[in-house]
Amino acid sequence: MKAINWKMALPVLALANVLVIQGCGTSNSANTPNSAASSNAADTSNEAPVTINWWHAMSGTNGKVLDQIVKDFNASQSHVVVKATFQGAYDELLNKVKATMGSKSGPALVQMNDVNTRFMIDSQAITPVQTLIDRDKYDISELEPNILNYYTVNNQLYSMPFNTSNDIFYYNKDLFKAAGLDPEKPPATFEEVEAAAKALTKDGVTGYAFYIEPWDMEQSFAKQGELYVNNDNGRSGEAATESLMNSEAGVKTLSFWKDMIDNKNAQFFGRVSADAQKAFTAGKVAMLTGSTGALRGMVEGAKGKFEVGTGFFPIPAGSSKEGGVAIGGGSNWIMNDKSQEEQDAAWEFIKYLSSAKVQALWHVSTGYFPTTTAAYDEQIVKDNLVKYPQFNAAVEQLHQSKSNYASQGASLGVFQEMRNFYSTAVEEAINGASPQEALDKAAKSSTEAIQKYNDTNK
Amino acid sequence: MTSRLRKFKEAAFGYGFLLPSLAGFSVFLFYPFLKSFYLSLHSMNPRGQIVEFVGFDNFIDILTSDHFYQSLKTTFFFALLTIPACIFIAVCLALLTYKKNKINLIFQLIFASTIAVPIGNASVIWKLLFHPTAGMFNYFLSLFGISPVGWLTNPAYALLSVSMMTVWISIGFTYLLLLSGIKGIPEDLYESAKIDGAGSFSIVRRITLPLLSPVLFFISVISVISALQSFSQINILTEGGPVNSTNVVVYDLYQEAFVNYRFGTGSAQAIILFLIILLFTIIQFRLSERKVHYS
Amino acid sequence: MSKIQRTAVLIILILASAAIIYPIFYAFASAMMTSAEIDSYPPHIFPSGFNLDNYKSVFAVVPVAQFLLNSFVVAIAITVGHLITASFAAYAFAFIRFPLKSFFFALFLATIMIPWEVTMIPNFLTIRSWGWTDSYWGLILPFLATGFGTFLFRQFFMQLPKDIFEAAKMDGMGHFGIFLRIALPLTRSASVTLAVYSFIGAWNMYLWPLLITNEESMRTVQIGVTMLQFEDFTSWNLVLAGLALMMLPPLLLLVLGLKQLVGNLTMGALKG
Repeated sequence: MKAINWKMALPVLALANVLVIQGCGTSNSANTPNSAASSNAADTSNEAPVTINWWHAMSGTNGKVLDQIVKDFNASQSHVVVKATFQGAYDELLNKVKATMGSKSGPALVQMNDVNTRFMIDSQAITPVQTLIDRDKYDISELEPNILNYYTVNNQLYSMPFNTSNDIFYYNKDLFKAAGLDPEKPPATFEEVEAAAKALTKDGVTGYAFYIEPWDMEQSFAKQGELYVNNDNGRSGEAATESLMNSEAGVKTLSFWKDMIDNKNAQFFGRVSADAQKAFTAGKVAMLTGSTGALRGMVEGAKGKFEVGTGFFPIPAGSSKEGGVAIGGGSNWIMNDKSQEEQDAAWEFIKYLSSAKVQALWHVSTGYFPTTTAAYDEQIVKDNLVKYPQFNAAVEQLHQSKSNYASQGASLGVFQEMRNFYSTAVEEAINGASPQEALDKAAKSSTEAIQKYNDTNK
Repeated sequence: MTSRLRKFKEAAFGYGFLLPSLAGFSVFLFYPFLKSFYLSLHSMNPRGQIVEFVGFDNFIDILTSDHFYQSLKTTFFFALLTIPACIFIAVCLALLTYKKNKINLIFQLIFASTIAVPIGNASVIWKLLFHPTAGMFNYFLSLFGISPVGWLTNPAYALLSVSMMTVWISIGFTYLLLLSGIKGIPEDLYESAKIDGAGSFSIVRRITLPLLSPVLFFISVISVISALQSFSQINILTEGGPVNSTNVVVYDLYQEAFVNYRFGTGSAQAIILFLIILLFTIIQFRLSERKVHYS
Repeated sequence: MSKIQRTAVLIILILASAAIIYPIFYAFASAMMTSAEIDSYPPHIFPSGFNLDNYKSVFAVVPVAQFLLNSFVVAIAITVGHLITASFAAYAFAFIRFPLKSFFFALFLATIMIPWEVTMIPNFLTIRSWGWTDSYWGLILPFLATGFGTFLFRQFFMQLPKDIFEAAKMDGMGHFGIFLRIALPLTRSASVTLAVYSFIGAWNMYLWPLLITNEESMRTVQIGVTMLQFEDFTSWNLVLAGLALMMLPPLLLLVLGLKQLVGNLTMGALKG
């Protein structure tokens, strides 16, 4: 058996911070000969460009597109040089950022995913972009308000959204036809989905693919206009202190999934979206929900086999409250341990990233949403919507979203931990517990975790 | 040379030979380990800064929670499911294929091959094989008319599935070790046994296995340590689920420290795990090393 | 063994081989499939053709050559380091008498038991304070000593017949002489085993290189595999092509190592 597992080693970096702060002998961050940025910042003459490091989590072709954007930016002007580096998946990136907070080896600009938003704010290691927006009177009217909302806490925009996704409904049009359902009219409510799943389940095909994606539950709350945690989802000043996932909205949603699984009209895929997607593109299941980021992959995977249809994320019939979509993806953060010049340079670059041209290219090549409405006027975006008409449903769902605390989504520091409690609750429910019982337990554990966080985060 | 001088010289040689290793360990293992003990006595904020000294509170919290004993139980089950199966299979394969000939060379390569597969990558491959609908395992089962199994999604199977994959990946190295151990056994011992008219089974029992005992002992100690530290395959295959059925101690500890941002309790958990492993190793040495046959 | 027994054993071995090799075969086969093929049902067991497109995509996304080179340098250095430090220490534990020997041996064993979680960060800070981030030193140095390898060597040393050493001592050989000319040559199989193990362990390092390198030019192959995985939708054929590509060097090393092991002089040849 393998005893030394270097590969197994995962981010442990956050501890570094402690050790830096204690300054116990070895950890002298001051003489770290790391970033080119720090040396350049010191002696910026009129001519010398400011070099900033941008750490991101964009792998594969997304990373390639990102590199191209950076290259274009560096070529477009002469006073800022951006150096982009892939630093692993978000959790690895975050731990690496934590390890370098307050030292010179960290970046000036960091991309971080949605759920760590609150942590980034609480870290007090960042400069809210709102400060720079106000200072420069930067016009944000063209940026998607429903996307900005997610990154806005206490009416302050903390980070600039960059890669944005949305949770939508996917279905197999050919199987819909075969089952006598209207392939142009995706089911919109839980009840309609359930009926469709029943009709679709036959000949080795299962109607619905369910996998545990905590974002789905968060989305369901947002769409139903219900709060996921108390104190206005932690958005209005007071930090959240209690999880509300065991409220009626949550129980209804989990029962919807559980009933379909119990009736064998849905198949359960554990915690793995990729598994459900694989079954979908293999034509083994007819419907599922998932990120817009998967859209192109699913359409390509289904090529030659069937046509992919998309629709809104379903809600229970008769939901009357106004709601919207909970935004997923990531945003860019300016770190405050860098000189003003570097922060300004990062801000310069953020503005470039938010331009219609860049967002159009980013959207077309990655499948993330444009963060600016102006991008839809770009020809490449129009062409792309012709090529992937499935994307229209996602755009519409975003634009119909009503802005309120519920649709802004929960803001809390232990988001990932709460997601884990939620996942366990779903597993318990699928294995026999009642949805109410399972969610009660998860809500209780989540509330305890939130309180622990609030206690140490002072 | 006086005997004292000789003894002194001998000891100097001993320490000299240990020195390169000790230097490496001191800087990159002992020092960080002491550091983490220090952290385990504190509560820390999510950013990783010390909030206050809490004494042994973190340890007490862990040792009084059902959750910890649950994950400890899972860890022991995991060890029981993986270690005996892996050693048994590897010993059988090694005994059947150690002789030098062309066919065995191919078998040897195949049986040792899993050592070349990184555990993280193996987990990705197995995850695809375990896939509930499109996976090969369920497809093979369907050829025999057996209905699909929720390998990783059913709490009754998940730990077993992870163990299967772990046994698979561990066979390579265990087999390789055994093969090199057998290669170290003097051939004339076999010959004289054959002359004595011993059958192949009794040769294995009377010569091969006793002479292999130092290697077997090594394998059993290392297997226990690595089983109790398993993380990667669980992280990729099940994330500790479903319903915590694969939530082993290291996975839990990792979650605590690097997902839930509670490094104080995470460090305390790491130290408790270290002590548990230490205890097991001591027991193994006490029980077995006397029986190990060193020539 | 009778003929029937022999056939039965052969069948068992063939079945075991098929079971063990299958997951590896699956990775290589899937790496040659198109997206449509890999996602089809019933699943394809063999790719429809010799399709190298996925490999081309891997090369397009990841700077494979640079990563491979770095991994080779790091893995070879760590392997050599392990062989040296472990064999010396193990020799001391097996054959030299010195005070506190069992304490030190326990200490060496304890190093295997320390969970990696607690060592990574302080080591990062140490390396950073020495200015060795983005360097081969930083990638190699923390891993040169190995309790695991020491324990392994010790077991093999202790398997050696004692009388050889008595004889060598009688002939006036010192510890260095015995170590280099008797102990090491007689445990070549242990060296080969540890070398294979260490090389592959180092080859598989992921977090440490990610942590201490900021320059892409200093990164190693496992990071390349992560670069192939996407957040929302993963093309498995592409990932498997990446996996297959990075498994090749360790597999080749295994072939070489096994040849050494099998062709090894056994004790029998030395008895004279």
